[in-house]
Amino acid sequence: MDFSFLDEELEESSAPLQQIGSGYRNIWVVAEAAGHALVPASLEAMGQARDLADQIGCYVFAVLLGDDLEALGEELAGYGAERVLLAEDPALAEYQAETWAHVLAGLVNEMRPEIVLMPATSLGNDLAPRLAQKLGTGLISHCVALEVDMTERLLLGTYGVLGGEVFHTLTCPEARPQMATLQPGAFRKPRAGGVRGEIQKVDVDLEGVGARLVREGAVPAVDLPPVPLSKARIVVSAGRGMQDSAGFAMVTRLAEALGGVVAGSRGALDAGWIDEEQVIGAGGLSVAPDLYIACGVSGDVYHYFGVQGAKFIVAINSDPVAPIMKVAHMAVVGDARQVIPAMLEAMA
Amino acid sequence: MRIIVPVKQILDPRGITVRRDKERIFVNQEEYILDPGSKAALEAALRLKEAALDAAGGWEILALCAGKAQADDALREALAMGCDAAYLLCDKAFEDADISATARILTAAIQKLEGADLVITGRESGDTGAGQIGPRLAEALGMAQVTDVHTASLVEGGLRAVRRWADGFCAVVAQLPVLLTVAPVAFPPRYPLGARVMSAYREWQVPVWDAAELGLDEAALAPLLSFRRESFPPPLDIGERFEGDPAGMAEDILAALRAQKTVR
Repeated sequence: MDFSFLDEELEESSAPLQQIGSGYRNIWVVAEAAGHALVPASLEAMGQARDLADQIGCYVFAVLLGDDLEALGEELAGYGAERVLLAEDPALAEYQAETWAHVLAGLVNEMRPEIVLMPATSLGNDLAPRLAQKLGTGLISHCVALEVDMTERLLLGTYGVLGGEVFHTLTCPEARPQMATLQPGAFRKPRAGGVRGEIQKVDVDLEGVGARLVREGAVPAVDLPPVPLSKARIVVSAGRGMQDSAGFAMVTRLAEALGGVVAGSRGALDAGWIDEEQVIGAGGLSVAPDLYIACGVSGDVYHYFGVQGAKFIVAINSDPVAPIMKVAHMAVVGDARQVIPAMLEAMA
Repeated sequence: MRIIVPVKQILDPRGITVRRDKERIFVNQEEYILDPGSKAALEAALRLKEAALDAAGGWEILALCAGKAQADDALREALAMGCDAAYLLCDKAFEDADISATARILTAAIQKLEGADLVITGRESGDTGAGQIGPRLAEALGMAQVTDVHTASLVEGGLRAVRRWADGFCAVVAQLPVLLTVAPVAFPPRYPLGARVMSAYREWQVPVWDAAELGLDEAALAPLLSFRRESFPPPLDIGERFEGDPAGMAEDILAALRAQKTVR
């Protein structure tokens, strides 16, 4: 039988494979510093980059932009990078999306990293999409897991959608470099030690780009409009078990400390602690927050009807057989009047 | 002053139930809504217009949406909220568009409209939440950018914005033109006036632009990212019991909340 057609097929299919990603090597981490310290999320990205690099067999480069970076560079060199690139210029001392993206794009085009990682911090979220657009490549944002498909040397980035209830995994099959931002706290921080990287200062070309933003600096927190109970991400509710208004005040403080909104059961309404529109349950309001903390709420079926959409329910109740304890993800058997102050103390 | 607000239409998350244990997403009610981030962007644009003294003359707020034919509804809602004109960017060729291709579609439309002094988008959408469209548009249009904006006002020489930066807030002044992405919590949207809702459907036109009209060929619309898989976090156990002294239980609760990223 004649198999010559296979040769043609193979030739056709293998040609683009060689082109894709050819010449692109190594993993870069664009590190971030706040003041004179590296941002923890940058170190998490370093740890992840090291793991990926060991898997695919390449080097880790850390990149720092700013001015007078030597001390930070020395520190960064201790976190598993083979090389630390320092792009120093007085004009880079302050972060500006346009100048930073310009400098980084120049370095990427010259040195061709295969993968570029950044923490999904305020800076990373501002810079990474702009850089990806400049480079004409794809970016997988807010990743909580990264892996490599070795058959095609593809970076797989997984991130949460629908409030983290579902994960999507994406790849960037052709464009290079492959870019991802890493959700702070989702990756482990590496221990300092191991590889000790060398430091390399790179030329900074700022021609044709200037800062168009003037930073006035830090300002006090913006007063945000109150979040309506129906849209709150965190709801802390009080029930009869809080006993008196002093007990209810604890619930209010807990809600404030967590950045949530106060609600209550019909019992709390009867006690006069809350208004009609704060009552949760059948005949009242239905909520679907990420977190629902029921404090001293026995939680009959009418109450549960209003919170069944909650993603995570914590019940604090001294009665171990209260109905809410069977439907809560965490059933905490104890007096809420003692547990809440302990929580507030631990959070202070 | 001309403000362009690119908006997005999403499947209403309230009609969706995720069953981790069954590893399935149930769409109980297939309803499409104007994305909350987009609504916040429209609200921010309208507030800037209302705060300006010369609002009567020379102000224009335009809404754009790249989507299917049903996205017409989202644009009618934008008109009802107070936009002056709206354009639907719709073509069969747009259906596979990823974020980068969507950025190219919107860029082409903004260029066809001959640019803007301000472009405002939501910080991220309520469905995919990638938060890329703003900075990508800013780069493609050659504009400065301020992301995660909580307050914005026009000042001498540009626009002053307070944005979230790490754990705090910082103020910046940007020259125009500039692109802003706004935080939904900071700009709760208004309800459209009934009369405007009627007009939005009965009187006003929403022009539809396709790929040819925007000068976009197949290469410009090729997605860069490819979908690999969908997965689910493990189901949460129900009824796990915690007992002991108050301090210990408080620590247990906080540990669980930290694991879920509700508290730091």
